[in-house]
Order: sequence, then structure tokens, then C-alpha cells
Amino acid sequence: MPDLSSAGHLPNLREGGLPPDKSWLPRQRRGTTPQMIGRYPDYDVFDAADTWDAATRAVVDKRMRVGGREYTYFAPAEQPTLRAFCDICLAQDAEPRVPVAQMVDQKLAEGRLDGYQYADMPDDRETWHLVLRGLDEIAMSRYGKRDFADCETSAQKAIVGFLSEGELGGGTWDSLNVKRAWSVCMRIILAEFYSHPWAWNEIGFGGPAYPRGFMRLGPTSVREPFEKPGATDEDPVRVDVPGQE
Amino acid sequence: MLQRLLKGSVGPRENDSRFLLDVHRRDLPGEDTMRRNRDDDEVDLCIVGAGAGGSVLAQRLARHGWRIVIIEAGPFWHPDEDWVSDEAGSHQLYWTQKRIIGGADPIELGKNNSGRGVGGSMVHYAGYTPRFHPSDFETLSQDGVGADWPISYWDLKPHYELVERELPVAGQNWPWGDPHSYPFSPHPVSESALRLWDGAEKLGIPMRAGPVGIVNGTFGNRPHCIYRGYCLQGCKVNAKASPYVTHLPDALAHGVEIRANSMAVRVEIDDAGRATGVTYMHERGGVERHQRARLVAVAGYSIETPRLLLNSASKRFPKGLCNNEDQVGRYVMVQGASQTAGRFPQEVRMYKGPPPEVSSEHYYETDESRGFQRGFSIQTVSPLPIGWAEHVLADGHWGSALREYMRDYNHWATVGVLNELLAQPDNRITLASETDEYGIPVARMDYTLCENDRRNIEWSTRVIKEILTAAGAQDILTIHRYAHLIGGSRMGTDPGNSVIDADQRTWAVPNLLVADGSACPTQGSANPALTIMAMSSRLAERLIRRKVDHGSSSVKTAALAGGSRR
Repeated sequence: MPDLSSAGHLPNLREGGLPPDKSWLPRQRRGTTPQMIGRYPDYDVFDAADTWDAATRAVVDKRMRVGGREYTYFAPAEQPTLRAFCDICLAQDAEPRVPVAQMVDQKLAEGRLDGYQYADMPDDRETWHLVLRGLDEIAMSRYGKRDFADCETSAQKAIVGFLSEGELGGGTWDSLNVKRAWSVCMRIILAEFYSHPWAWNEIGFGGPAYPRGFMRLGPTSVREPFEKPGATDEDPVRVDVPGQE
Repeated sequence: MLQRLLKGSVGPRENDSRFLLDVHRRDLPGEDTMRRNRDDDEVDLCIVGAGAGGSVLAQRLARHGWRIVIIEAGPFWHPDEDWVSDEAGSHQLYWTQKRIIGGADPIELGKNNSGRGVGGSMVHYAGYTPRFHPSDFETLSQDGVGADWPISYWDLKPHYELVERELPVAGQNWPWGDPHSYPFSPHPVSESALRLWDGAEKLGIPMRAGPVGIVNGTFGNRPHCIYRGYCLQGCKVNAKASPYVTHLPDALAHGVEIRANSMAVRVEIDDAGRATGVTYMHERGGVERHQRARLVAVAGYSIETPRLLLNSASKRFPKGLCNNEDQVGRYVMVQGASQTAGRFPQEVRMYKGPPPEVSSEHYYETDESRGFQRGFSIQTVSPLPIGWAEHVLADGHWGSALREYMRDYNHWATVGVLNELLAQPDNRITLASETDEYGIPVARMDYTLCENDRRNIEWSTRVIKEILTAAGAQDILTIHRYAHLIGGSRMGTDPGNSVIDADQRTWAVPNLLVADGSACPTQGSANPALTIMAMSSRLAERLIRRKVDHGSSSVKTAALAGGSRR
């Protein structure tokens, strides 16, 4: 598999635009990442948590507790589809998962919206109900399943693929601008997932930095002592050493 | 030469904000002991909005004895507790109350263009503080597009210099527009910005470090930047300039009152057609209150200022205050702000250091050979993870492909453009049928790009892609987006083409001023904060020198004689 200085793992540079199987990634050895994969197996953002200010610490700690919370915005019948949809959008196919569905539920329940609504769209909160209903309708009409959550993963991916291209129609979808509905949902899903420290571990992000700040801006180093270099899942014996070929 | 020798050592006179701040606490000093006025006290000036425009105006006039109340919709921040070093946790800094967006190219509002709370949008602006170019004030006569201002660059220049000392601005000597230097030396440049610098250099595009309103050194009680990269989340350090640290401490020390959590509902007019004050609602209570004032200045920025005027309809102004000529809310503008990211073999960790680092105004002016009028600037930007995820999504990735790009975050550097989009009458703020929690109709913003806008965006995006390619980027991802707001109640030469005159006085009501970015007829490809502050500084100077005929002769003639309290 590629070493990290090559960009061979990036979807745009690969045939079919798909990333390599996640097996090229190392298992996380320290801290937690979603699905325990990531590029920084020895990095845990919480190692530096004692340097965070109290207000930031409280916000992050609260976020870590959302998973245990009851749903308050989405009805029980909507929840399986919500969870399956969030999982597919983020390729969260195994535990541990960032509880994005619950985070979305909490955000909508608290009405923390983004400050704008497209003139041809309903309120974001209503859009979510419609999208979930629309996903179930497609699952029933095209795949003969009970709902979206009941579909095979491949079918779920296909449906979300159509949604991302704005290519769903009929039923509920006719009342929505489909591309904008996708953007409304993804904006919240991405904001929630990448606000979670497990995702920071996965991507090697330094996390909160007040009052400590960052000192290593380059060029001699871009890594603070608590930050760790990236790695891949290579067998060290078989790795080609540059210049020795 | 003298300024170079004195770099970092000459502070502004007539503004003690930097000494009033507390070294150990970030709260705005003076909140507890702030002067309080009663609603039925007729104050000299009631300002709506405690942002860049309103705060500078208040600070200047308070020093000359004016009695001032600022009505602010958002909260009075206590940064130690309210602001966090976290991307999602900073949501409350943005104006997230609903607005309807329409037109062929709707503009997403909120986190990158609208603020709420004491300090305004500058609390979460990146920190870039370029001046406008002299040409920006006469684009119609020079380039046949946009509009001519009733004032020129030279009217603002002394105020640019003054505000640059107050923020203070750090940057290299500036070769573009009206060449000038900055009071503070440039900040060091981070690894990710260096990649972009290298790429630009290979293409012969000159770049410069700065200009940013971020302390490099110490400045009174304001500390040096700690390069943590959370400029867009509110600076907990007090290193980044915003009115909260640059003007409001001094304003409070000179008797200004800020009435936070108070939403202005209407500007009231008497039978003679003069403004009598501002009706507002406090977050708690739900009853309308009215602050009497001899002079009213609206400084709510390009959406809320037109919204407030349009909502202040009366018998005299049935289509909204100052809107008998159908000009309010028109010619609102945003800037194209496409961003392109490039992948590099080594880690660059772009989240370190302020997102605003180096920039170029090489393409700022019109070049006919490009096929469009006016131009754009190039600036580094460094999205944090959520911003980076939106960038990746915009290139069409989700699921496992998105996760793969996200895991690669530390290898990417990002550069953006600011396109000068042109003023058009139908890009406009109006009132929607829906109302907010106070019962005020929410704003609707319609936006449609013109052909010149599209060509500018397309051409500039190609340039930043070329910069990344020249820098050796292995893969490139692009997002098309917009930033900033300007216009909406612009200044002009007559009531048929504008809302306010060259003194920012509304044509229709002599004692009603507009003191924010909505006053600008054009926007250049410069970030607007510095210009908004400089305009308020100029307006204040003219009010102090009694050059503005607002018909309120009683306003502080006595104080004027006494001058500043210090």
C-alpha cells in the first residue's frame, strides 16, 4: 500500500473515484477513533486535555455524553432510518460509532440552526422529516423493503448516491429541492461528526488550543510534542526504503 | 522611514482601550459600572448595533461628551466563559436567526458573514484588514461598472491610518492600491501558507504577509497572538482586533451604554418627519420599549439595517422608512470566496496559525484581457475540520471517500479568493411573510450573479488552482462559496440612486444616519471590516466638527466646547 507522501489513496486519483479498502489503515492503539481506524494510531487528543480552558473542556465533555441521551426530536419510527442514513453518509459501518444520529436529534431539538432557509425549501427541521420519509418511500418502491434501514448496505449506498446527485423524485421528493435537501442534511451531519474528539483522533487534528496555543508552525517542525506522526498499516519488513531499490 | 523605525511602538492617541483591558480576564472592562440611561431620557445618539460601525462611532463621539446608548440584539459576551476553542461550540457567535434566501444564486448566511452580540461580526472575522483601493470609489467612471462613491479614498485615508494604529494592523509594506506600510511587523508565516507563497512565486504572482488586525508583540494589555488558529471562533486571547477590544472599552469608559439582548423593532418618526428614537424589545419581558434620542444611527449591517428601515413603515413612509424612492435594501453585495486546497507529501497541519496569513492584490484592478471588469484578491485560509469537511463534500465526496480525504487533512493547504461582485439593484433585502420570535418579519435576501461576476469567479478559481499546481500539489479540491456583506442602504449623490448622502445621513430623515457596511456603494476585493471602521471614524469626525447638518443643534454644543474629557 502507499506510503503517506504519495497521494495514491485519494479517491480523485483512483479509478472509480473510490478510496482503498480501509484495511490499509492501522488499528488505533491509543484513544478512540470511529471504527478504531485512523491515520494517527498513537494519537489521542485527550492527552492534551489538561491544557484546555475550562469552558472549552465543558463543551467537549458535554458532547461526549450525547450518545447516552434519549431522542427528543425524531419519533421512534424515524430513528432506524435516521441512524442508517447517518451511518451511510459517514461510512460508519462498525462500532465504535460517533453517535451522529443522536447529535443531529439534539441539535434540531434545541433549534440550533444555521441562520438561513432557501426560499424553495421548508424549515431545516421539517426538511429532515421529509428526507427520512422520502428515503423510506424509495426503499419500499424500488427495493420492496419495509424502510430504508431494512435495505442492504449496497442499496442504501445507491439511494444516498442518487440523493447526493439530486436524482430522487416522486412522492415526498417532489416537494423538495433534492440537492438542497442533501446539503441541509450533510451540513449538520458533518458538523456533528467532525466536532467529535474521536474524529479528531482519526484525522490527527490538534484540537482545542487555548490557552496553550501552537508553537510548531514550521518549517523545522509542524508537530507539537503531544501530536503524533501519521502511519499506515505496513509490515515494516516489507516496506521499501527509499534509495535502496 | 520613521514609521519603519517606530514599528510596533506608536499607539493611537484618543483611544485607551488597550490599557483598559484586563491582563487576566477577557471581559469587557466597565460592564458592571456602565452608565445607564432611562428610556425616556433623550440621549444625544442612539446606535443600533454594537459592531464595527456602531462601536467606532460611539467611541469617537463619547470622547466628545456625547451621551450614547447602543441597542444590540445579541448578548454581552464574557469571553472566558462564553467563547470556546472549538469549532462547533462557537455557533452562538453567528447570526443564526432565520433569514430566507432566494434568487438564482442564493447566499448562505450565518457563520461567514453575520455576527450577533457585542462586538458584532468582527468577533468571528478572520482578521484580514486590507484597505480599499482608490479605484474602488469610482468604478463607474473608471470601469463602467458598479458605482461611484460621493466620497473618495482620500477622504478615508487619514481614518484608515488611524484605525490601523488602533487595531493594530500587522503586515508587510503594501505595494497595491495606495502603497502604504503598517504599524506592526508581519507575523511569521506557517508551513501551509509557505506552500502557497512558493506556488505563487513560481507563477510570478507577488504575495505579502498580512495585513491582519492581530497583535504581533504586545499592545497595551493585549498579548501576542498564540497561533492557535481559532480566529473565526472568537479570539479568547484578545490578540485579534474586534470592537470588543479595540473601541468598546474606551467607549464604556467615556459613558457609552450598551443595551444587549435588545432587538430594535422600529425607528420612530414624529409628525415633522424627524427620528425620535428607537423602539426595541428586550429578550426578557416581551414588551416594546422606546429609547428617545436626538440622533439615531443604524449600524446593523447589510441585512438588519435594511430590515429595520423596511419594518419602520409609517404614514409618511408607507413602504418603509426612507424607502419612498424604493432604494432601501437594494445593491446588497457579497464577495465570491471560492477556495482551493492542495495536497502535499509532507504534513503541513494548516490548523496552526491564524487562517489569514498571506495575500495578494495583484489581480485587484481591471485588466481588459481577462474578459471582465474589476478583479479579485488572493488570500490564505485554513479551514478547521468541519470547514474542511464542507470543502470535501463540495467536491462531491461522501461516505468512505469523504472519510479518506478527511483523514488526509494534515497534508492539505488552502487558498481562497475574494471576487469583487458588482452592485445590482435586484440583489436586495426585503421583508418575508414569516416573522421572528419578536414578531418582526424576517429578512429575505435575493441574489443573482451577473455575467461579469461569473467570469471573475471562474478566472480567479483557475489562478488559485494554478498556484497549487505550481506549488507541487498532488491533488486539488475546490469549493465555490461566498463571504462578507456590503451595501443595502448605500450612499450616493441623490435620493433616486441611494438611501444616504455623503455624510451617511438618510436623504429622507435628517437626523437618521446609517453607520455600517450597508453604506458602501462598492466593495472592491478587500475584506470590509477596516473600511467600515474607517467610515465611522470619518463620520464621527464630521459630526464632532459639526459638518453634518442633522438639524439637531442641541446635540452637545456644550460638550463640544469642552472637547475631550482627557
